[in-house]
Amino acid sequence: MKKILIVDDEQDIVESLKFVLEAADFTCYCAYNGEDGLRLAKEIVPDLIILDVMMPKINGYKISRLLKYDNKYKNIPILMVTARSQEEDKLIGEETGADEYITKPFELDEVVKKVEQYLN
Amino acid sequence: MIKILFVSNIADTISKFNGIFNKNTYELTCLSDENLIFDTLMAEPQDIILIDEKIDNIKNLNKKIKQICENSIIIFLISSDKIDKELIKFANAFITEDMPEDLITSTVNINLRMKNSLEMLSNSNKDLADSLYRLNALYDTSSRFSGTLDKAKLIQYMIEGMDKALSFSLTATLSLCTDDEPVLILNSLYELSDELISAIKFRTILNYNSVFENKKAPFELNIDTLKVVKHIKYPANRFTFTLFQYDNMFAPISLGDDFFGCIEIFKELSFTPENATCFQTIAQQVALPLKSATLYQELIETNAKLEKLERLKSEFISIVSHELRTPLTSIKNSLDILKSGRCGEVTQSAEKFLSMAMRNVQRLSGIINDLLDLSKIEAGKMDFHFAPANINTVIGYVKSTLSELAKSKGLLLITEEAENLPNITIDCQRLEQVLTNLVSNAIKFTPSDKTIKITSGLVNSSDIHINEYFKSQITKLEGEYVQVCVEDEGIGIAEKDLLRAFDKFAQIENTLSRKEGGTGLGLPIAKQLLEAHKGAIWCDSELNKGSKFYFIIPVTKVEQLV
Repeated sequence: MKKILIVDDEQDIVESLKFVLEAADFTCYCAYNGEDGLRLAKEIVPDLIILDVMMPKINGYKISRLLKYDNKYKNIPILMVTARSQEEDKLIGEETGADEYITKPFELDEVVKKVEQYLN
Repeated sequence: MIKILFVSNIADTISKFNGIFNKNTYELTCLSDENLIFDTLMAEPQDIILIDEKIDNIKNLNKKIKQICENSIIIFLISSDKIDKELIKFANAFITEDMPEDLITSTVNINLRMKNSLEMLSNSNKDLADSLYRLNALYDTSSRFSGTLDKAKLIQYMIEGMDKALSFSLTATLSLCTDDEPVLILNSLYELSDELISAIKFRTILNYNSVFENKKAPFELNIDTLKVVKHIKYPANRFTFTLFQYDNMFAPISLGDDFFGCIEIFKELSFTPENATCFQTIAQQVALPLKSATLYQELIETNAKLEKLERLKSEFISIVSHELRTPLTSIKNSLDILKSGRCGEVTQSAEKFLSMAMRNVQRLSGIINDLLDLSKIEAGKMDFHFAPANINTVIGYVKSTLSELAKSKGLLLITEEAENLPNITIDCQRLEQVLTNLVSNAIKFTPSDKTIKITSGLVNSSDIHINEYFKSQITKLEGEYVQVCVEDEGIGIAEKDLLRAFDKFAQIENTLSRKEGGTGLGLPIAKQLLEAHKGAIWCDSELNKGSKFYFIIPVTKVEQLV
């Protein structure tokens, strides 16, 4: 089973994502702040990461940058999720190497579809 | 006393003229020695020089005398009627020895009067030239005053104007306009010692306090802390305390209750009454632009505050909107999961309420997007992707999206598109947003069995009819425009609300339409989006009859838009 790491300080959102992804036969690991997210990413080496931007301790941009810098992790697709929708934020997201950019509120089914696109 | 120099060496003649000019009004000096004559003339200008023709070497003497005393009257004493032509050049008049005494005195007196008149004329001329110069300086200064709203510069121009008009030795200007604290500006011909500066400071503070004798002064001036700026023209020389014996004048620079400073001016020569007028005039003249500058400054500050407030508001909306999105996402996700049946079967009535919740999540999300759009436009952060396109494409798209909605409300949505419309430079997505908003509004506010019509056309600026409510806002129309009109047969808008329809949150205040929902941000956003296209939007409406919303976009080239 493919492993997905969900990093978001908003527990409810993690919960709902976990629910639909597990229903689609993925194994989910969850972290509720940036530091835990980064540690977990290095520990389990997931197949895909869903990453929130605004988080305590380390923000999503930085996590993405740190992972994409490391040969060991740079091929893990990152779906960046954020409530911010301004164009410049999108640009920063792209510069940090995120593979996909999703704006809140999003359709759960679409997230699942995107995850499947990357992993199948 | 009229001074007469008689150049003669003939004793008889001398005694005769002594007899004639022996009265108190005359002072007759008789000389024949050349050196003595010149010494006397150099020491003391004579009113009349009487020269005996018989004196030796008369021609040379004449020339020299004329050189020394240009303004004296020269009268020759001749023995015959025959006048030497050379002498005529130098003479003001001639008398002969055999002339009667009264004729001689009258000749002298007439010439004296003439000389006085000439002198007066020349003095008036000089005064006139002086006045003209001062007037010029005044005019110059006042035109410089009108050229700036910088208070420090105004004070500087005033001092320069004073210098030009009055050529002072020193001005001590107390300025409350140059910095945050009062400054004493010293413009001096010569260097000033520290002691002298202290004394000037002391004087200035006394003068300043005298202006506010019975009132509270705006600043408490202290001799030790008063800041001094000095400009010295010739630093090699020094003023001493004799400076305080110079003639001086003082004037406050104020307008009504506004006090901008005061000025004291010193001059070695005494000031004339005209100087005093000039001084007062300049000091008064500078007060008005200083007042304007103060008001202007206040205006700028208020403006900056307002701008900051507006920015804060935009930022606030932006932050709040983002904060709202996160919980909204959780709600939406939960509803999605429930509705999908993945948590168990959904009954028909549960489905109904889930749909209701979903619909409202959609609505809330739309409102947040509107708020974000508006704050983005206002912050100048909205990105546009301009490209040439046909407006009919946009109309077609909006029609296909909203036809179903119109049908569900029992409305007919029709379009009347002009053929061969030129391409215009637009952001299709944004205009779609505008048109969707207008048509959605029409659907929202029109009762069933009615028609909503979208028309497009090419119009010339002279054929565009904008009603009086919008005329003042939409100006400078030029050239050709593509015009789109959304016409409905709905509830319409009252005249008094027409203009406000495009104000932010207008609908929120409007209780009548409140039940129809929405933030009332659609039209303000549409207005801003069209303004970004260099276009305009307005509406004609009649209560209970229907509304016509028009928007126009200029037919221009891409470069002109950028």
